[in-house]
Amino acid sequence: MIAEFIMIVVGGIKFGAIYALAAIGIVVIHKATRTVNFAHGAFVLMGAYACYGVVEGLGLGYGAAFVLAPLAAGALAAAIELAILRPIRQADSFAVITSTIFIGIGLSELYRLVQNTEMLALPNPVPGPPLFLGDAVVTREQIWVVAGAVLAGLIGLAIFGYARIGRGMRAMAANPRGAALCGYSADAVNALAWFLGGALAGLAGVFAAPSKGVSAELAISMITAGFVAAVIGGFDSLRGALMGGFILGVAETLAAGYVSSATKSAVSFLLLFVILLWRPQGLFPEAKIRDV
Amino acid sequence: MSNQRGSAALRVTAPSLGMLAVAVLGLAVGSYWQYVLAVSLSAAIVGGGLAMLVGYARCITIATGAMLAIGAYGAAVPVIRLDIPFLAALAFATALGALAGIVLAVPGVRFRSHNLAMVTFVFQAVVIIALRESKGLTGGAEGLNVPSPTLLGLTFRDDAAFLLLCGVLAALIILPLAVLLEGPFGKNLRAVAGNENAARAFGIEVSHHLIAAFAWSSAVIAFAGALSAPRYRIIDPDSYGILASIFTLAYPIIGGMGSIWGGLVGGGVLRIVPELLRPLADYIELIFCVLVVLTLTFFPDGMASAGLRWLRPRRRGEAAAPAPARAQQAAPVAALLSSTAAIAGKPAHRVMPPADGALLAVAGVSKAYGALRAVNGVSLAVPPRALHGLMGPNGAGKTTLFNIISGFVAADAGSMALAGEPLEAVAIERRIGLGMTRTFQHAAVFHSLSCLDNVVIGLGRNGVWRTTWRSAQAAIDAGATRAERHAALAALDCVGLAARAREPAGALSLGDQRRLEIARAIVSRPLLTLLDEPVSGLAVEEAHRMRELLLAINRDLGIAMVVIEHNIGFLVSLCRRISVMSEGSVIAEGDAARVVEDPGVRHAYFGEREAVA
Amino acid sequence: MSARAHVDRRLVLQAGAGALAAGALGWPRPAAAEARQGITDTEVLIGALGQLTGPFAFIGAPARDGMQLALEKINAAGDINGRRLPLLFEQASTPAESVAAAKKLTESDKVFVLVIASGSTGAAAAADYVRSAGIPTYNIFGATAIIRDPFARNVFHGSMPDAGVSGEGMIEQAMRAAPGAKKVGILAGTYAFPQSNLKAIQPRLEKRGVEVVVEQFDAAARDYTAQLVSFARQRVPVIMILGSFTEAGFAIKQAPEKGLTDVAWVLDGSGTNDAIVPIIGAENTRNLWGYFNAPFFPTQTDDAMVNFVRIWTAKYGQPPQGRPNLYDMVAYGCTYVLAQAMKKAGRELDWSTLMAAWEKLDNAKPSDLGGYDVIFPESVTASDHQGNKLVGPARVVDGKWRVVW
Repeated sequence: MIAEFIMIVVGGIKFGAIYALAAIGIVVIHKATRTVNFAHGAFVLMGAYACYGVVEGLGLGYGAAFVLAPLAAGALAAAIELAILRPIRQADSFAVITSTIFIGIGLSELYRLVQNTEMLALPNPVPGPPLFLGDAVVTREQIWVVAGAVLAGLIGLAIFGYARIGRGMRAMAANPRGAALCGYSADAVNALAWFLGGALAGLAGVFAAPSKGVSAELAISMITAGFVAAVIGGFDSLRGALMGGFILGVAETLAAGYVSSATKSAVSFLLLFVILLWRPQGLFPEAKIRDV
Repeated sequence: MSNQRGSAALRVTAPSLGMLAVAVLGLAVGSYWQYVLAVSLSAAIVGGGLAMLVGYARCITIATGAMLAIGAYGAAVPVIRLDIPFLAALAFATALGALAGIVLAVPGVRFRSHNLAMVTFVFQAVVIIALRESKGLTGGAEGLNVPSPTLLGLTFRDDAAFLLLCGVLAALIILPLAVLLEGPFGKNLRAVAGNENAARAFGIEVSHHLIAAFAWSSAVIAFAGALSAPRYRIIDPDSYGILASIFTLAYPIIGGMGSIWGGLVGGGVLRIVPELLRPLADYIELIFCVLVVLTLTFFPDGMASAGLRWLRPRRRGEAAAPAPARAQQAAPVAALLSSTAAIAGKPAHRVMPPADGALLAVAGVSKAYGALRAVNGVSLAVPPRALHGLMGPNGAGKTTLFNIISGFVAADAGSMALAGEPLEAVAIERRIGLGMTRTFQHAAVFHSLSCLDNVVIGLGRNGVWRTTWRSAQAAIDAGATRAERHAALAALDCVGLAARAREPAGALSLGDQRRLEIARAIVSRPLLTLLDEPVSGLAVEEAHRMRELLLAINRDLGIAMVVIEHNIGFLVSLCRRISVMSEGSVIAEGDAARVVEDPGVRHAYFGEREAVA
Repeated sequence: MSARAHVDRRLVLQAGAGALAAGALGWPRPAAAEARQGITDTEVLIGALGQLTGPFAFIGAPARDGMQLALEKINAAGDINGRRLPLLFEQASTPAESVAAAKKLTESDKVFVLVIASGSTGAAAAADYVRSAGIPTYNIFGATAIIRDPFARNVFHGSMPDAGVSGEGMIEQAMRAAPGAKKVGILAGTYAFPQSNLKAIQPRLEKRGVEVVVEQFDAAARDYTAQLVSFARQRVPVIMILGSFTEAGFAIKQAPEKGLTDVAWVLDGSGTNDAIVPIIGAENTRNLWGYFNAPFFPTQTDDAMVNFVRIWTAKYGQPPQGRPNLYDMVAYGCTYVLAQAMKKAGRELDWSTLMAAWEKLDNAKPSDLGGYDVIFPESVTASDHQGNKLVGPARVVDGKWRVVW
């Protein structure tokens, strides 16, 4: 009984770690550019695809994938921001949000056209016998995902919180004109924010690839989970995104394990709905809301 | 005038006639293409529904697939299990769609933009999951076999017959949609999308309008789902998944966001494109995405609108005479007097101005944001027909005070009353009914509406039921709208913008937009108007003319005004009394010329010390 | 214009529309499908529909490739009674599109014969239409009962047998994997193909006195916590998975995480795919059993298979991971069977001669026309249109699936 519970929770934490990474990327982009990126799931897919290319195509192993996949996804994200979103940014949020929705779908379709198989499978990154906690089984892959995702998330937090780039992004988000006057270029900061957000998505893709496989459906499942996790945590809070991801992952698998499989999806939406209605600033908001 | 009446009715029935025409013309083609046209007609209906929600109200909805599913299953299941006739099932499915729209919208309309999109996404996902899980009712993931529709004993298995049926039914369902969108309801939706605060200030209940928009469009979309299901033979929940929602979003975006035609044509054409371009079947979805992003970047109004603009000949008389002479103003103001009185036979407001005493009585009002006291125990007494100025350095709390008086911000303490009626519990939208209007610091006109329509909204009477009724009236009998437009035109004439009545407000210069705001604020003949920086950003000449205009309005229409301005010369020349605020409190009040000499005032503004004498 | 005149104008418009309608109804319209359509002196047009995009693209795209490969070889080797066989393949991802594609091919493009190369959902959707249109229809992939019942003279079935046959095959494998087992778990997808298999398997198991534990999942699910936990609680020794190889792969991979070690897995035809091996890891394949709808797997080294891969690569280049797959093979082989039926019908080709010849096929195989035998031979009679009724039992040997009799 206890063993089963532990295994379910560990499974939830593993997925939660991937969700958290995706959510942090969404929040980074939103904090810096006030844009909600509905194409984020597609960036995760691109990262996963790049990981496949590096590990299976080039045969370089996961170590190289950790570096190359985020770089690729980040570069793509920055390119999209510069080429497509910058001109649209003059218009209202409707145009920007809708564009990101269709860019996301477009990227998934492009992937499906290029790689016309149902799914690309990747080998286990950490093969070996699983560990036993009493009767509970914990596989090495689960530990790898959780540890890696948490580490990456903390690094992202550190960059955004303390490095000069991070400060520039926060300044730009709070007061674009003021920041521009202080010497920060809006275009550069936006592009950098998208790069960072995209890189985080790419990293999420590296972890998601062996666990979920590389397929076009990955894009939609990751944007859903990432968004819900970001809302649960508090849309503008990086720490919240991290916590929100874990909460979502564990809640989902608990529902799946103890109620039914259909409730798994319903749980994420229920959480989203409840949080939006009852505590729209999220469970771990960073700053107080100020009405001016 | 009968020309206008004719054209209004034609505008409203034209979409329906168009659908019927497509069905009739389709009888000449082969049965495969008749099948395609029938499907295209139902897609056009979806486009029309989305035109209301996405085009006019600018709400991003990802719930279209779920609404289609509700319609399809809502009609198919009763027919299969209860043997109900097709038309009855169709009506039931449509009502179910409306109900679903309301269920989605009531919690959903607290949110905007991406949060609203996610709420609709939640709805979409939950509906599909529910359909998949209720195997007993819906057949689950394996799908449901939908029989051909039967009408009066005839089964419509033949493609031609079905196409005709589709045409007739499509024409019927589009009619109410067109009536709403062409009439005041559509204009109010555009106002809400343009500037919510201004919309609310003139009586438009935003959440009610949005809920209504969701209800109508969901009903129409469910209708389309129910209509097309029999042709698909087998319906399964995954056909109505999130991809269906996202791709239907393309209909109004590519077709055109400004009119029902955009949605209809967008839906009808985009649905056929995969059939026409079968060799490109693999690439269709990608092409759609590229098209949408291109359209959003280069043709934000949609391709149809861009095309129309290119085709329509230039309007004449674009440059209006900028400076109305004083004499010109006197006559129009009298016209305003008579025309607004003609509307509904009674003035817009219910409240009688008091014979004496204060029209607006503000007592001890305070508002704090954390440690910051934005407004600190402010009292104000404005008699009827007054011209009262409000000045003070930046951050003094003037706009916050206005926001409190007009209802946008709730005071922490104190009381306010208009002609004796307490204001604290009165919603923003009701202020115009009590006789209070306002203008905004950043000219809050409705950019996509014409100047005339902007002012018509200023008449108030914008509750959602009232608006729906007015839309129906407008379609049937132009006499009802004539009085409204007459009054609006008179108000525009008052401020010298009559020549630009049909131009979109967004095309006006800042000065003209401010004047448009004034026209909108006075057309309902309020008792009191709050003016927030009416000459900010205007050249000296224009400021002078604005002063003349406001004096004339105050004199001839008897409207009291409270004016915030930084332009002290303007304020002194316009107002009889001035209150000066600094750091949240009123530091001086009295006769205009004397107040500005007050040393305390000069100190607050210029930092002057007593020493300078 | 007075109000009266205005109203009259609308009336005129409406009357005109009505007149048009009346006139149009009387117009001669293009005739419905005909028994000799699609045939010219030099060509017989073959129509096919399948999923080229979407989650089931791994069925439709290989189908098109396999058919085109076969037709290229057949046309090159010599005409069928003096006629070439061009192919028109239409995309059909959803049931709605299947119906639309079938109609278009039959009525607009006027193909002579229709090949349904989509999974069970598409076949089910088009079933009513093809039965009523009367066009000879070759259902090469759909195992669903909807296209078999009621029997229609113009509908023939190819390599994939109905769910009863493949169900028995899976049950045999389960009994081999866990001899004497009293409990069997079934993990089934909620969509058409697994459900029809489930309907065939569950009663047959219960008739043998075996307790059946059923858990379900939605298409393309990636997380099987709930279902696996349930199986673990009930201590089932063998679990049948009715779903694609990705679904099966992730379920099997996650099983140890939920405490399900030492369980035998029996997969259906779509699960027995080499691409499942990397998902679960080559070292974990001892307990995998399955069946295959062809005599050997694409990676086996029988002559016919090696040759097939060779000509596939020559036409399409280096195959991506997982290709050529079962659907490439079946589409290729069934095309040969179809060509054989057409050849036997002779020069005077129309629907009835084709169907008569088809019903006389006995052990028809690709090599009869110079192709490679990568499918089971097909035999058809007037009362039984199921061409193939065999399934090949399969195990994983050295990290690759093999048919092991």
